Amino acid sequence: MLLKRLTEAMGPSGFEDEIRGVLRAEVEGHVDRVYTDVLGTLICEKGIDRPGPRVMLDAHMDEVGLMIVHAEDNGLLRFRPLGGVDPRVLVSKPVRIGPEKRFGVIGAKPIHLQKPEERRKPLPLESLYIDIGARDKDDALAAVRLGDVAVFATRYEEIGEGCAKAKSFDDRAGCAVLTEVLRRDYELPLYGVFTVQEEIGLRGAIAAAYRLQPDIAIAIEGTVCFDVVDAPGHGQGTVLGRGPAFTLQDGRTLADRRFLEFMIHVAEKHGIPYQFRRVKGGSNDFGAIHRSRAGVTGGSISIPVRYIHAPAQVMSLEDYRNTVRLVQAVLTELQEGGFRG
Amino acid sequence: MKERILEWAGYVAPSGSEGGLQEALLGAVREAADEVRVDVLGNGIATKRGEGPHVVLVAHADEPGVMAIHVDERGFLRLISIGDVPAHELVGRQVRFTNGVTGIIGVEGKVKREDIGFEHLYADIGAESEEEARSRVPLGTAGVVWEPLSEIGTHRLAGRALDNRAGCAVAAEAFLQLAALGRRVSVVFSAQQAVGARGAGTAAFQLNPDLAIVIDAAPAGDMPEAPRMALSLGKGPCVKIMDGTAVVPLDVKDHLVESARRLGLAIQYEVWPRGLSDAGAVQLSQGGVKVGGVSYPARRLGGLAQVIDLRDVAGAVRLVVEAARSW
Repeated sequence: MLLKRLTEAMGPSGFEDEIRGVLRAEVEGHVDRVYTDVLGTLICEKGIDRPGPRVMLDAHMDEVGLMIVHAEDNGLLRFRPLGGVDPRVLVSKPVRIGPEKRFGVIGAKPIHLQKPEERRKPLPLESLYIDIGARDKDDALAAVRLGDVAVFATRYEEIGEGCAKAKSFDDRAGCAVLTEVLRRDYELPLYGVFTVQEEIGLRGAIAAAYRLQPDIAIAIEGTVCFDVVDAPGHGQGTVLGRGPAFTLQDGRTLADRRFLEFMIHVAEKHGIPYQFRRVKGGSNDFGAIHRSRAGVTGGSISIPVRYIHAPAQVMSLEDYRNTVRLVQAVLTELQEGGFRG
Repeated sequence: MKERILEWAGYVAPSGSEGGLQEALLGAVREAADEVRVDVLGNGIATKRGEGPHVVLVAHADEPGVMAIHVDERGFLRLISIGDVPAHELVGRQVRFTNGVTGIIGVEGKVKREDIGFEHLYADIGAESEEEARSRVPLGTAGVVWEPLSEIGTHRLAGRALDNRAGCAVAAEAFLQLAALGRRVSVVFSAQQAVGARGAGTAAFQLNPDLAIVIDAAPAGDMPEAPRMALSLGKGPCVKIMDGTAVVPLDVKDHLVESARRLGLAIQYEVWPRGLSDAGAVQLSQGGVKVGGVSYPARRLGGLAQVIDLRDVAGAVRLVVEAARSW
């Protein structure tokens, strides 16, 4: 199960070794060449000598994590977030630390011992620690090194009516879409790019876009979805089950209108549902790619994911399948010359 | 100059929707240029081949604005900002979208003035249903808060988008004069400045200038109890020393000051530590670009309407031409 293999692999920003190995194994045999760049981004070339626009499909393989920065005398580990993590989601969550995936739990003062004013406020990062069951500092540092990174220990599972839960659907869902898309052939030069360090500032995409100089780029992203109780229509971001979402404006990008209209046309022609990402906050790799060199046209296609950056994220498998169809349809229309750059 | 500024400030051109304005801007320089284009990010670029180093004049064309992001079942539009727009100042104002549709911005009840955010605002475009609103203003349509333009006093203009249509007028006029002198010169009417100088860097990458001069507004501080800023209307164009994006190299700054001295032109010095301009994006393009800045003071910069002095604008043209000619 592709989504299970990809979401359960470790790969916090800057520490993408495991997920990169998993992805490389998934795409090998389906692409002409696979290599990594200096930052560790995995680049897959497919038919790059073919005529037509050079297309870069991007999905970031890194995920948010927690970096171990200090061991207390009693063996408890202090940490700092790597990427945007809301400290309020952390208490009592199980994590896996470092390449050996050592188990830990994020601990805090139990409610019995909290003063009334402490109970009213969310626990700040400074009051949290990771407990790996170590006796003391030396024991802890024999098992975990400072600089090791932890990720949530969540397993992939299909739940309810056509949904799935896992850690890191942001953006392993996008990685899975890109992996499936790369298994087919297209009559245009195609670069499938699994980038690093997106969660800490779109860093991998900057170097990858500069290297590849695409004519057209599309970022495939797991994006914010808050279609829950009490959220007004304009506060939802996206809605689960209504299909892949196009970005109009986010924190780093104003949509390229011509390419946006092209993608809408493709979705409608192929009968694929779509929606708009209706929130300004957040961003994705296209925010870096479109500013590369002389500027790059393109856009982003996002899969709605509830509770991104949190331990258990929820996604609609139908949205996922429709995103695969949409990206394939966009490539098909591009190879037919459907977009005049 | 005045006619051009007034005409161009009449265009609705929020970041990312500069297309209509670019046609007008490039129309003013097309005859004098060897090559004219609008690039991927929406920059309008004109180049004239000629003598000397390649000097690139950069003036952003865009302005902050709003974007329709949601329509409710009664046909009210919800908005997000494009760039930095003060939400509480929008209540009761007129919004004008790029497709000409206008509306009035309202605010939900029970929100205190100081707490007003974009999530509390809506635009009433007179639609009687969700469908009507969607067809008239498709999601993603951008607009601006409309504010009339007027000539006030003897030398001054007041209104929306003077930042930076006045700069576009300076850049266009300086380009025409330098082209007539046979100089090698380009003008960039940059896109997407108000959302973080996204266009200027890619334009500089294409042109690889020997010298770039960024022309933009700088905040005046000569109003009652104004935030402290040593720039006044009518006292001449400003030579940029530094802003929040770039420190101008000394040789470029000295050259601009010396050019003004040769012209006998009074100038002011712009030191604006938190100011955002295209200068930094241009400077860090390619392997690094020599960048300078010539600004004109503007009152209420960052508000919905600005006040500028046409004498500062005219002085900016003279300074840019002299500095570019003699670089």
